[in-house]
Amino acid sequence: MKEKWRFLLTEGDNAYRNMAIDNAILVANSKGLVPPTVRFYYWVPSAITIGYFQSLEEEVDLLMCKKHGVDYVRRITGGGSVFHENELTYSIVISEDHKKIPKNIMDSYGRICGAIIKGLDNFGIKSVYHPINDILCNGKKISGNAQTRKHRTVLQHGTVLLDVDVEKMFSLLRVSDEKMVDKLVSDVKQRVTSVRNVLNRKVPFSEIVNDMKKGFEDEFNSELFSGDLTEEEIYLADDFEKNCFSLEDWNHKR
Amino acid sequence: MLSKSEYKIPAGKLVKINLEYDKLSKKIINIKITGDFFAYPEDSIEIIEKELKGVSLKKKDIRKKIDDLINSNNFEFIGLNSEGLSDGILRCLK
Repeated sequence: MKEKWRFLLTEGDNAYRNMAIDNAILVANSKGLVPPTVRFYYWVPSAITIGYFQSLEEEVDLLMCKKHGVDYVRRITGGGSVFHENELTYSIVISEDHKKIPKNIMDSYGRICGAIIKGLDNFGIKSVYHPINDILCNGKKISGNAQTRKHRTVLQHGTVLLDVDVEKMFSLLRVSDEKMVDKLVSDVKQRVTSVRNVLNRKVPFSEIVNDMKKGFEDEFNSELFSGDLTEEEIYLADDFEKNCFSLEDWNHKR
Repeated sequence: MLSKSEYKIPAGKLVKINLEYDKLSKKIINIKITGDFFAYPEDSIEIIEKELKGVSLKKKDIRKKIDDLINSNNFEFIGLNSEGLSDGILRCLK
């Protein structure tokens, strides 16, 4: 018997709401209120997320964000800054004690990234896991991933770039020269790719959803059934959105 | 003295240091550690920042302090380690 996991297609939300929903699922799952959950979503308006330990002002050009109408939010996960536009974003929430989740954090990145790699493969794109937290296609980044563990529960979220405007991306993000010091290709703009770049056509979010969903089902030998956020999760998400992710105190805390 | 540094840890992540230190005693007054690394639990970095106050800017002293904190609190770092963090901090003196 395949285990049944919940699948949420919440589609487009603003940055604060998106992060609040992931956090709400994490809390609800840790209390045993909801099953392991895979969620697909995107960002309206386009947004930047920064890693929990990053300095907002060092990573993001806030004036350019304002000019382009781009929101920004601090994640509860570590990792780097990401510009979210034309992508499929996923999150998975599952108990740390679940038998399909490796105890070792690095191993669990590999396992969850396996679902993304299988999903991309279903869509005709070959990619490989590049530790610590990237997935590469033809040597370029097509997916970034970030994980946290809280209340004995794993939250990993990440991106699949459907299309990318590198000029816009790097006008919003500040990338230090030091970050590129040991990379073979030092121009950041040459280091990212997208589904569109690989397949030479525009792919909308809705077109890739089923193949990506199947990637999770195959990797974890589980069945994803379509569900909705529970009332408790909506209540929690409202609270996190209002009292955490939309606040200056949170976003500017480092 | 105020100083800052950026250091890409070999096979790891980028760590950025904002340091305030006493020029005479060469001790840390205040430090802020930011970057695209992963650290568990999430308050581990704030604890290290707090505990590094008063520590001498010598590699072995900084490393020992960080290692002791990691071991006694079971901190887990990914893309970050005590050696890389100490090297990043000491870059502020260059």
